[in-house]
Formats: sequence, C-alpha cells, structure tokens
Amino acid sequence: MALPHSGPTRPRFQLHEDAVAMAIGFFIVAMALAVTWLGRPHDDPTSREKYPKGWPTPLAATIDKPQTWADSPTEALVDKKGKSVVKAVVLGAGWVVLIGIAATVLGGGSPLPVLPGAVTIAGLACGAYFLSSQKLIHYYNLEYPLWALAVGLLIGNTVGVPRWLARAPSGEFLIKTGLVIFGAEVLFGRLLELGLPGLMTSWLVTPVVLVTTYWFGVHVMRIPSRSLCMVISADMSVCGVSAAIATAAACRAKKEELSLAIGLSLVFTVLMMVAMPPFIVWSDMDQIVGGAWLGGTIDATGAVVAAGESLGKEAGAVAATVKMIQNSMIGIIAFAVAVYWAGWVERDGSGPRASLAAEAWSRFPRFILGFLAISLAVSWLFSMGPAEALWVDGTTTGFTSRLRGWLFCAGFVCMGLQTNFRELAPFLASGRPLVLYVGGQALNLLLTFLMASLTFGWLFKKVIEP
Amino acid sequence: MTAMSPRTTTGAGPAAAWLVAGLAAIGFVWCGLLPRLLRYGPVKRHVDLMEQLDVNPAAMYYTELDRLPLRPEWITRRLTLWPTPPQPQR
Repeated sequence: MALPHSGPTRPRFQLHEDAVAMAIGFFIVAMALAVTWLGRPHDDPTSREKYPKGWPTPLAATIDKPQTWADSPTEALVDKKGKSVVKAVVLGAGWVVLIGIAATVLGGGSPLPVLPGAVTIAGLACGAYFLSSQKLIHYYNLEYPLWALAVGLLIGNTVGVPRWLARAPSGEFLIKTGLVIFGAEVLFGRLLELGLPGLMTSWLVTPVVLVTTYWFGVHVMRIPSRSLCMVISADMSVCGVSAAIATAAACRAKKEELSLAIGLSLVFTVLMMVAMPPFIVWSDMDQIVGGAWLGGTIDATGAVVAAGESLGKEAGAVAATVKMIQNSMIGIIAFAVAVYWAGWVERDGSGPRASLAAEAWSRFPRFILGFLAISLAVSWLFSMGPAEALWVDGTTTGFTSRLRGWLFCAGFVCMGLQTNFRELAPFLASGRPLVLYVGGQALNLLLTFLMASLTFGWLFKKVIEP
Repeated sequence: MTAMSPRTTTGAGPAAAWLVAGLAAIGFVWCGLLPRLLRYGPVKRHVDLMEQLDVNPAAMYYTELDRLPLRPEWITRRLTLWPTPPQPQR
C-alpha cells in the first residue's frame, strides 16, 4: 500500500485504513453471497445431507491453498481427487495482490509502485502455506501463521526489507481486512447450539478464565504490557490463533506480542491434543464429559476435533460443538476488548469528563464495527431458514474462509518482515508470558472440567443420555 | 494508510549468506527430516488415524474443518435450550 501522502499534493480522495478494510470486506462478502446465490443448486436446495458444507459456490474455483504433502512439495499441487490446484492457488495469491491494489487506490495512492511488493508478499504467503501443509506439520496442528511469521522473520532479519517491498500492504491492514471478512463466519446462532449445558460450559467458564488470567498477569505477575496479557488470555481461553488475532487487533497489541501468544498457543495445543485423550481414557472419564472438556480447553478448533474424534464419535461431536460455541464468542469478546481498551486502558483522565466518551470513540478501532456488522447481518441471514443456512455455509466454507486465510497468512509474513529478533528476546527471556499461559490454562482445565462434569455429567445427564 | 517501513541490515554479503543458510535448513528439514519422521511409529499412527477419520487438525476455525460439526441426532432430539426435569411417574 502506498505510503501516506503529505503536503500540498495530498489527493482529494483518501480513506482511513479502517474504512478501507471495511469497504473491501463489505464488498467481498456481499459479492460472495451474490455469486453463491446466482449459482445456487435447484435440486433440493434445502437438503443438508446433500450439501453438508452448504451450497457449492462458483467462487471456490478461484481460490485454494496447497494441499497436504508427505515426501515432495509437488504433491501439494494435486488435491485428494487427483485434480490440479495450481490455478486456484495462483488465483488465491492473486486475490491478495488485488486487495492490496484496491486498498492503495482507495487510500489515494498509485497502484504501480505497490505491485512488486504485493506480488512478493503473496508469493511468500504461498511459500508459508507449502511449509504448513507438510503432513507431519499439518496433522500436528502447527498452523500457517507460525510459518508465515518464520518466513518473514528469516527474510527481515537477514537481507532486510528493501524500499520496493516496504510499499506492499502492511500486515495490520491485511489482518484487519481478513477480520472484517471473518465476520461472515462468526454466527451468533451457533452460540445456542448445545442448549443450556453448552452455554454453561462455554459462556460461564470462558469469560471467567479470560478475565482472571488477564487480571493475574497485570496485577499479580506485573507483566508491563497489558495488551500481551490480554492476547495470551484470549487465545488460551477462547479459541487459539483466531481469538489472538481478533483481540490483538482490538487492543492494538504489538506484533511481537501477537507472535509470542500464537507460538505459545500452538505449542500447548499440540501437547494437549496428544496428551488429553489418553488421560481421559485412563481416568475412565465419561465420553461426553471428556468431549466437553476437550472442546472447552484445547485452543485450536482442528485440534479439538482431532482429539475428540480419537475418543469416539459422540465425544468428537460434543467437543466440536463446544468449540464452535467458543468460536462464535470471538465477535462479542473482540468488541468488549475494544471498548474496554478505548474507554479505560488508554484513557487519559486529565481532560473534562464530558469528552471522555468522545476521546474513547476517537481511539476505538472502527474496523471492529465492520466485523461485528457483517457477523450480525450474516447471522440474521443464516437464521432465516435451511436454504439460507446452506447459502451462508457454502459462501463461507467455499470462499470467504479461504480468502481470510490468505489475508491472514500474507499479514503474518509482513509482521515477520517487520519484527526484529532482538525485540522478541526480552519477552522470551523473562519467561513470564509462559508462566501466565500455563497458569491460565491450568485454571481453564480445572473450571472446564468442573463445569462439564456438573452440566453434562450430572445436571442434564438424564436428558443427554442417548 | 500505513505501509511497512524499509529495514536494512548491516553487510550485504553475510546477510545473504544467512538467508541461504536458512533456506537450506528449511529444505533439509521439510524435504529430508519430516518425511522420514512421518514413517516413525507413533507419528505414523497419529497421521493415519487423522486421515482415516477425515479430520483436519490444522483448522483455525470451524469453517475450515473438512466436515462442519453437526450435532448428533440424539442431541437435537433430546436436548432443548431449557430442559425440563422428568415428570414423576404416577
């Protein structure tokens, strides 16, 4: 994206970064819904059995990522059915370039100087996807943000970031745009998916763990950065990387803090995914309680399903649904964190009381409103009926979630490029973030186990018994 | 509108050498070490199980799962938002 214009040559048409992210996000979600509607199936369009992932969208052919591979990266260019994905992968990278160019134009800049950097960032994101799709990496849940950061760190800390590359879209902008588009996947109706036991397990424990861990980090461990405490608390208590990205944007965490929180989350997700199912079997825990416990504690969604399914189908279904409820809380939590940050944490109390609200509003990250608006609109559409639910599911699983993934991946490459190893060192050396994560996760494990036992194992046991 | 800021590192020669060394390490780990580790007993069992169950553990969000989580039929049938206690039998 073009550098900010200054001086007398400032163009007449120039939008703020958050406004650009929202404009592009709104356009993409609306366009994706319209294209899916135009290509909707006429044969039994309300059948979930026929379309388990929603209506197939024509846009799915325009975006994909490298597939899993075992021995040679070339295997990543062919999907499970033996069909080449080269075109869709190239087009996926093309979407990132296109969005970078569109943002530059909306921001009042000239697109040509941005092009080489945007193409390079998209290419590096593609490289990070190749690294993350190696089967061992993939099946142990070491997700693409880690490798995108690693690729950026390697380049940024060796040959640096030349001026032509620095004109590329900033990581913050790409992640903001990805988050606005992500709103289409955050459906409020999913919050009620498991009824009262699900609500009690996810709605009571998650906020309690989040607030307690944050408070412990700030007031007991005295970690100087409040935003680091918040990002670690959110990724540990809500749903891992996606929650970390959303809350980091809401509380304006530094890129080093987000990188650290993601690293911690991924390492502990692997450990918990491998260790918890055997422990549940060994302790002879009820399968449903075990599934709810997994769903409420393991950070990453995919790892929850992997651990739950390895226990059994019932446990897998309960684990996935509890995690899906937590997934859907991201919107509320990101909004609450943004309000708390703008209104309390960053508040300058020296001014007149009447101006405090206006001052908080001036600091509020506006793109969060775009994220929330899309989430509410798509949730409303989803609740209209079975056909609309399949319409939304097809649009999100076939297009917007893939595009959001590309934007996040490219955003993390940019963040890696801008991060100095030396800036990460103090965070790692103190060890306090690790202690905060472990302490918070221990509380999460205990409270979720108690609540899952209370709800699924006792209060509603008779109701949920098959 | 923000953009990245240019960064320079000292000494073009050593910097490029570090980059080449990093890329070589990635090539060695990803194309040599990881494929071998995939054949190691416990790792192979885990990967085979995940493939057999058609699970995508790397999904960041539920929309990225190969199968969307669906409630088992017994939950849909028997679990309501506010379950009522069973009525005493006469």
